[in-house]
Amino acid sequence: MRILIVDDEAPARDKLRRWLAEHADVSLVGECADGLAAAASITATQPDAVFLDIQMPGMSGLEVAAQLETAQAPLLVFVTAFDEHAIKAFELNAIDYLLKPYDKDRLQKTLQRLRDRRAGAPAAGSAASAAIRTARAQTGASERLLVPHGEQLQLIEAASIHWLEADDNYVHVHTAQGSYLLRRTMSDLLTQLGERFMRIHKSTAVNITEVKSLSPLFKGDHEVLMRSGATLRLSRRYKDELFARIG
Amino acid sequence: MASAEPTHSSPGSNRALFALWALFWLLMIVVALQDLYDDDKLQWWEPLVWEGSSCVVATLWLLIERRAAQRWTQYLAQPWAWFARHLVWLPLVAVTFVVAVYAIRHGIYALTSETYEHEPWLYLLFYESVKLTLYIGLWLGIIFGLASFERWQVEREQLLTLQKHLAESQLAQLKAQLQPHFLFNALNTISSLMQVDVERADRLLTQLADLLRSSLLANTRDTTSLRDELKLLTMYAQIMQERFIGRVTLTWNVADDVLDALVPSMLLQPLLENAFKHGVECSRDPATIRITAERQGDDLSVTIYNSASSSPATPSNGIGLRNCRERLEVLYGARASLELARSADGVTAQLKLPFRTA
Repeated sequence: MRILIVDDEAPARDKLRRWLAEHADVSLVGECADGLAAAASITATQPDAVFLDIQMPGMSGLEVAAQLETAQAPLLVFVTAFDEHAIKAFELNAIDYLLKPYDKDRLQKTLQRLRDRRAGAPAAGSAASAAIRTARAQTGASERLLVPHGEQLQLIEAASIHWLEADDNYVHVHTAQGSYLLRRTMSDLLTQLGERFMRIHKSTAVNITEVKSLSPLFKGDHEVLMRSGATLRLSRRYKDELFARIG
Repeated sequence: MASAEPTHSSPGSNRALFALWALFWLLMIVVALQDLYDDDKLQWWEPLVWEGSSCVVATLWLLIERRAAQRWTQYLAQPWAWFARHLVWLPLVAVTFVVAVYAIRHGIYALTSETYEHEPWLYLLFYESVKLTLYIGLWLGIIFGLASFERWQVEREQLLTLQKHLAESQLAQLKAQLQPHFLFNALNTISSLMQVDVERADRLLTQLADLLRSSLLANTRDTTSLRDELKLLTMYAQIMQERFIGRVTLTWNVADDVLDALVPSMLLQPLLENAFKHGVECSRDPATIRITAERQGDDLSVTIYNSASSSPATPSNGIGLRNCRERLEVLYGARASLELARSADGVTAQLKLPFRTA
């Protein structure tokens, strides 16, 4: 089992590393001290499981989890010293978590649960996505989106995004600063970004505040004019909902 | 404010009222007895019958008023309403008074086989009513004054008790406590350290225990010496430095002449905690924290500076700071202040309070 450790406190990382090393079936793929590095490392190393500390500078562990594509996510174990709300949600949704400080027994139990989840392969995927859904419910709609920027990752404001364009298993994110290509599915990205965005076509979604005007085309379709000047197609299927939202 | 109202007039004000009442009637009787000098034909007991009968009937009415008084207490704040509610009874009081008093007088005269001579009835009713109105006005004034005074006293006492409770509960609530988050993280650091350096882990555990003990003790008193408060801060800082090893540099600049100054207990700890939270925990770069304490005239000045990276300040820092401010307000009024100053490279919490020693 390939594991990534994410914690901003060095002593906490040391302890986990030392104890995980005692398990023959565990190999470490890396250690990260903050959220942004963790997200980059998850994409780069594709670990089987991540021990993810919740309180970290920059991006919290929950925020990191919220940014992950549900279908490709590794198994997550949230690690926290004290976080009443999150723990209640973890309990409710059977999400794996570890309370600091923990002993070897508890770590052993957590590892066993991870092994069990991996053994029942389809169940592993659903456990991973449950963890991400729970993290998203805790953080609310993401105000910032993690996008690739050259070799690295960077956070952009969700409000600065104009529209989204699906392209197979990728999504083009169009902003005033340019476009970013994400390896995400449109539906999962829309779940993460929340009410601010709305689908107007099978492969297109817009930031509602960026819509300038609508003009009718034939057969009930409409043309959507964006503030940026772009024109997009609104299909009949999504017409009523968009009209209701725009008023 | 219904609960603030006294449910019945206290014996205190009634005692004062009846004492005055007795004094008044004694005076009336003495004045009436003086008639004996001016009128030879007058029997010695006659003035006593006159005043006595008046006194008996008036006292009966006063007792009735006393029984009904609590119903009118609510109108004490509106004098007109209070007097109006009394004065509507005036006609009934006047008629019953005249009838009863003269019936008693005629009765007693009849027992002594004398005749009671007086003015014609119509004139009498008019004359007695005017006299009665004047006296009733006088006594209502006295009753109103006594009842208002008593009510004022009760309300003031309630207000003072309320204020005291409020201040106490505020202080209790505002007194900072160690955050559970800090405790569990500290325990985790110790648990981790234990694996590699038992001595250091043991030292840290002892420090955590000392810190806990001090914070529990701090909750039992309002102020403590700066020396003790700094000891607590040092313990806290050492644990945090171990947690964020290599990520923070601490500097202490404390003048010798301020160590005995009194400061609110556990007031500085949340400020240092803020500095760690926003300077160290939220920052990916190495951070600096600087603590200074010095005397400035009649004031003690304590500042806690933390470097801040470009990451935006989280809005959650407001609550701890507001608690500290409210505690200062309760303890020192306008004499103390706590300001937060942002500069290009960091944030400084600046505390000022009157310089006092035990």
